[in-house]
Amino acid sequence: MSTNMLSSRRQFLQTAAGGLGGLALTSMLNGECLAQPHHAPKAKRVIQIFCPGGMSQVDTFDYKPELERRNGTPFDPEGTLQFFASKPGNCRGSHWKFRQHGQSGLWMSDLFPRLATCIDDMAFIYSMHSKTALHGPACFMMNTGYTLPGFPSMGSWVTYGLGSEAEDLPAFVVLPDPRGLPPGGVINWGSGFLPAQFQATTLDTSNVRQPIADLFPPEEFAEATTEADRAGLEFLAELNGLHQETRSQNSELEARIKAYEMAARLQLSAPELTDLSKESTATKQLYNVDHAEIGPFGRQCLLARRLVQRGVRFVQIYCGAENTTAKKIRPNWDSHEDLTRDHGYWGTVLDNGAAALLTDLKRQGMLDDTLVICTTEFGRQPGAQGGEGKGRDHNAGAFTAWLAGGGIKGGFGYGATDELGFKAVEHPTYCYDLHATALHLLGIDHTRLTYYHNGIERRLTDVHGHLIEEIVA
Amino acid sequence: MTVQLQGSGYESARCWARRLKTSVASWLIVLCSCVVAADDIDFSRQIAPIIEQHCIRCHSPENRKGDISLATSEDLQSNEYVISGDPDGSYLIELITSQNVQPPAMPQKQEPLSDNEVDLLRQWIGQGAKWPENVVIKEKAKADASWWSYQPLNVATRSESPSSQGLESESPATIDAFICEKLAKHNLKKCPPADRRTLIRRLSFDLHGLPPTPEEVEAFIEDSDPHAYENLVDRMLASPRYGERFAQHWLDLAHYADTHGYERDQRRNNAWRYRDYVIRAFNEDRPYNRFLQEQIAGDVLWPDEQQAVIATGFLAAGPWDFVGQVETKSPELQRSARSLDLDDMATQVMTATMAMTINCARCHDHKLDPISQREYYQLRAVFAGIKREDRVVSDQSLKQHQKLEQDLIARRNQLDFEKGRLEGEGLNLADIVGGGNGHGTGTYRNAIDPRNAKVQTRDFGNLGNVVTNSFSPSAFEFVDGVFIPNGENGAASIPVSSTGLTITGLPTTSGNAWDMIRNGPVASQHSPELDGIDFTKDGHSLLGLHANAGITFDLAAMHDAVRLPESNAEKSPDSESPATLRFTANVGYFGAEGENFADAWVFVDGRKVFEFRKLRRADGLQKIDIEISATNRFLTLVSTDGGNGYGMDQIGFGDPQVKLAAPPALTDEVHNRLAEIKAQREQIEKEIAALGPPPRFYGVVAEQTIPEVKLLTRGNPESPTGDALPPAALSTLAMLDAELGTLETIEGERRAALARWITHPDNPLVRRVIVNRLWQWHFGTGLVDTPSDFGYGGGRPSHPELLDWLADELARRNWSLKAMHRLIVTSDTYKQVSTVGEPRALKVDPTKIDADNRLLWRQNPRRIEAEAIRDSVLSVSGKLNPERGGPGFEDFEYQDAYAPIYTYITADEPELWRRSIYRYRVRTTPDRFLTTFDCPDPANLTPQRLTTTTPLQSLALYNNDFMLRQARYFAERLEREVGNDSNAQVQRAFELAFGRHPTPQETSLSTDFVDKQGLFTFCRSLFNANEFLYVD
Repeated sequence: MSTNMLSSRRQFLQTAAGGLGGLALTSMLNGECLAQPHHAPKAKRVIQIFCPGGMSQVDTFDYKPELERRNGTPFDPEGTLQFFASKPGNCRGSHWKFRQHGQSGLWMSDLFPRLATCIDDMAFIYSMHSKTALHGPACFMMNTGYTLPGFPSMGSWVTYGLGSEAEDLPAFVVLPDPRGLPPGGVINWGSGFLPAQFQATTLDTSNVRQPIADLFPPEEFAEATTEADRAGLEFLAELNGLHQETRSQNSELEARIKAYEMAARLQLSAPELTDLSKESTATKQLYNVDHAEIGPFGRQCLLARRLVQRGVRFVQIYCGAENTTAKKIRPNWDSHEDLTRDHGYWGTVLDNGAAALLTDLKRQGMLDDTLVICTTEFGRQPGAQGGEGKGRDHNAGAFTAWLAGGGIKGGFGYGATDELGFKAVEHPTYCYDLHATALHLLGIDHTRLTYYHNGIERRLTDVHGHLIEEIVA
Repeated sequence: MTVQLQGSGYESARCWARRLKTSVASWLIVLCSCVVAADDIDFSRQIAPIIEQHCIRCHSPENRKGDISLATSEDLQSNEYVISGDPDGSYLIELITSQNVQPPAMPQKQEPLSDNEVDLLRQWIGQGAKWPENVVIKEKAKADASWWSYQPLNVATRSESPSSQGLESESPATIDAFICEKLAKHNLKKCPPADRRTLIRRLSFDLHGLPPTPEEVEAFIEDSDPHAYENLVDRMLASPRYGERFAQHWLDLAHYADTHGYERDQRRNNAWRYRDYVIRAFNEDRPYNRFLQEQIAGDVLWPDEQQAVIATGFLAAGPWDFVGQVETKSPELQRSARSLDLDDMATQVMTATMAMTINCARCHDHKLDPISQREYYQLRAVFAGIKREDRVVSDQSLKQHQKLEQDLIARRNQLDFEKGRLEGEGLNLADIVGGGNGHGTGTYRNAIDPRNAKVQTRDFGNLGNVVTNSFSPSAFEFVDGVFIPNGENGAASIPVSSTGLTITGLPTTSGNAWDMIRNGPVASQHSPELDGIDFTKDGHSLLGLHANAGITFDLAAMHDAVRLPESNAEKSPDSESPATLRFTANVGYFGAEGENFADAWVFVDGRKVFEFRKLRRADGLQKIDIEISATNRFLTLVSTDGGNGYGMDQIGFGDPQVKLAAPPALTDEVHNRLAEIKAQREQIEKEIAALGPPPRFYGVVAEQTIPEVKLLTRGNPESPTGDALPPAALSTLAMLDAELGTLETIEGERRAALARWITHPDNPLVRRVIVNRLWQWHFGTGLVDTPSDFGYGGGRPSHPELLDWLADELARRNWSLKAMHRLIVTSDTYKQVSTVGEPRALKVDPTKIDADNRLLWRQNPRRIEAEAIRDSVLSVSGKLNPERGGPGFEDFEYQDAYAPIYTYITADEPELWRRSIYRYRVRTTPDRFLTTFDCPDPANLTPQRLTTTTPLQSLALYNNDFMLRQARYFAERLEREVGNDSNAQVQRAFELAFGRHPTPQETSLSTDFVDKQGLFTFCRSLFNANEFLYVD
């Protein structure tokens, strides 16, 4: 490729990016239109559920009868292995009974009784693995493809590639766990080196008045009445208009003027979005939104549905927070001491929200073109951890991710771990393939969605990634 | 290779085609053989380059497109594409030649091989397809050593008379001459210079990141000196605001922040010294070569110069993964984290100084630039012997500081000690553990190592090298010693004193220990609070004793210390008998609720006097009150893990005291003495505060030995291959010697050698790169628009001659950056207007020829950066706090926890109104307001800020609490300065915010608005105006 082609490609992408991204910027730049996807998409939008802390595959989706059989025998008789925080204890079969479900007859543990009814809509990748068993870097990897901080998240890439369908909501919205941020903090959904318009907007659902930061002036500013707000904006528009008269060539100035109009629209759309009163009682019951423990995540899932319904491109929901905020149970899936207690709690939370979401999307006819992804950053060890053997240590060698809707083949399992669920052995899959597949379903060729940064045309999938054709319907 | 996937129908067609081709081809070969048959084909010279150029990119061991690799002779044999001696039967030849009028199948999407190349391959196959052993073909980088940026500077002598017409310049070559020459080639002309009002605002934001004050603007406009502009530039470059502005540019390149980042985003409380160094270096105009040398190896080259040593904070400025490097027990995870750590360090140095993207060669040879993977690891060998750590500036400065501080503390301790005795106050055991005298002189969170009784000041996790049931004597006066117990089901006889006293009857433990015996909570303690009492606050104290650990105090020494003074003792009714002591404390389980528990024990002279098994958080505090007789020698506190592992087992003794059983009565004399002590103590406290913290900074320290560096196959730390590599730089710069030492070269000398190599006068990149950065900082875009990538993937210089001329000028001006700023900002090119109003009377529309303004027919209008927005708001509201240097201001609430929590607050007090450069930067929780305005994530090396326009920015400027408060202060300032007349308020507001007077139209519009909506709403709108954020 010649020099000129490289630089013009960069220019094209960056110009295109300016025209596509963020909050319905389409209307800001006259004459720009949405770029064509690389091929016909099967999914128009994504809802990703992220379960930080490390969800155990052998207690949830990856049925391992051999592990059951070896219960209580040494996992590592030679004592050569050293996990993240411990040496392995004895083999420990699933803490929950596994059963077959649905037409497909796939296995799922009793931790997820409601999700099990959706099994024929779900495709499982049993052979996921990660490059690290550290929460922070592993979360980064799952979200951005790199164990280092500072790279754009999948949501940012998708927004960069496809822009938004929403006229008055952000393209990429994150709903963190109400308990707090996940390991590694807000850069899990950062835009890295992509322009800031592709970073996620955090929706704080606990703040009824200001679900988006700075949506309205703080209440104590009595002078900032609605009327004064409006008058101030009108005056601002006049000032900007006069300023622009001699600077008509600078399109950024025009964009800023439009941005204030968009902001005003957001002030109307965001409260409408978070107001669940118009949802039927049946829907609210489906998500159990009023339940003290499982309700908050159920609410987030319902909000995710409302967001994508309004054209939001990418929604990420966190099911768990950072280890810091420990109370009586772990604040995420990181079950070192007592897996029954912690997975028991979070499993019920996930089961309610995810099952309700799949059911609801299907009922609304949206599941077909909404891709639902549920991931964690790594799995857990088949051998037990702790004196009483009630926990499990980190395992980068194997975990399960599942996808549904949006062109996914339901009731399907892909890849496999060894007989104990310790390592992915058949089709070992890094996040690259998952990302490549998600982008493919959205109509994007992952090798062609690039952005130049410090010497490299960067991609979500680095130099890796293959479409997993088997799980595509 | 899709052809292989075709069905059998295609196969037969292929065979037919082959047969047809054979007859023609064999005829050809006869002809050709006349020419070259005499010579044997030289594989390395004739064949390898063909494969290298046309095939290897897709058919490498890494890529294996179509499952084919052509890298080695084994590859060739395994794929059977070549039949030795039979070019016509070799599938390879078929693939690269045209079949059936179709273009050759290979190479895909590229020019086919030339006839000559095909012939060479045929001959080679014909001669037996010999592939010398061990020859591996690798993909060649796109650029080689002849790439433009690796060439020596090319500074042609410029003609005496400027080449461009209408230019009035005295020097033979000027920026303007270069620019005009190129413009003229495109039938373009420079724009006229901007007016003074525009110029001072532009300069002020450029050089200071702040708006000019109305007074500065008026003074400049009134200035009749013909050199008014040059004088203004000099004044601005001399102001400390200049360093504060340019340090931010440099810190972007260093991805500096004040926390580690990653999962446990801990504080780096001494990182600011490097930030201050950068500000100072810019302000003092440190020659650029020296500036780089200091940052790479200042501690080696000038060990006695504080600033040069602190400069190495550069190497440590980026993120660092505590969990991966320290906390995890897995050596594999540790190697992985360390590998990425070294990559970060080497990459930062090479991209910041030379714009070489060496990190692309971590997993394979650089695909674009001539940097081999081996060279990449040789560069890493330069840094392999250092690690990031809080360190002292120099041993000498530390000793000096410590001596002063210790003298003061010793005097204070003496007073405290006396006071305690006079008041009959007991001795605090937590304080003693922290190195104190029992009366509050200990250091909070200082600790004793249960393994060896050493004093420790930093946090530990799981302790390695634990030997259980081994007693280590302590040097502290009141501490006899420490041990890590394992009762072995009651059987073990555990030594607990220096006199050989033992205890038995303790249960079996895991034999593990976590962190230290601390004055305060232990590392990662769940909470310092129990039963509603926070033991870190309000005069409480906590002796943190995480299981499994034990500590024995010397009661005999304590008896002496708390014994009443003679005068006082006489009045005590029990003065005849020896004083009787009591040990009091509240012990509890400070770990989390749930299935977590541990055991707490107290022994006096080896006799158990307190025991609580399976103590949980839910059990709350357990009161301990134990009588101690004068004959008792040792008090032992023990925690054991309860048999379920030591996780969470944070046993703590709250307010642990050994005191007199009966408190003494105080005489007048004692009261007087106490008052004296109080006064003396206050004086000493003042002196200690004035002394400040010891001169520590976050930098790098040498490892004990330099770990071997080997090439890591595919960048995988678990796959080292080949020999250990000596340190070396990049051989592609032919004018420099890339050798930096041998395997034996010591750590510091490696960095010093790299610093010398980088700043060598013949290195063409370093100067090109920095003058290009300066250009970018003044024009928005560099002459090369990829400021940290001067390789093949980067941009080409828009004005190569100018770039080299500037680089040459830098050396001629003693590497002075200020001289270069002066050169650039005093050019006519810089001073042009940025606005294109009415189409000018020109034959050509410049926006059609050069829309991006790379030729610089005008100045670029620019939005100010995130930090400049915040600083300008403060400046205009009158609240900017100009205080310089020192620890960063924290506009957040800090909560110490496993992963600390940083919760932002509204900056609404003078300390938080300092310039943004002085803020405490948190990696995982960046300041949302600044991030919204494109302030980059300090995980990334950021050579150029992006500018986006989003509705979230509008919301932040219009509604954010900080902005509204500042709008209120702005309104108050206007009222204070010009009273209540709305016309005067509007005039002043425009001067402050925009540096100009309002037009009559703006005046009437604004006055009307102020009268109707009030001054606050007016000020709020001004802060949101395009003119406030954009510089012409």
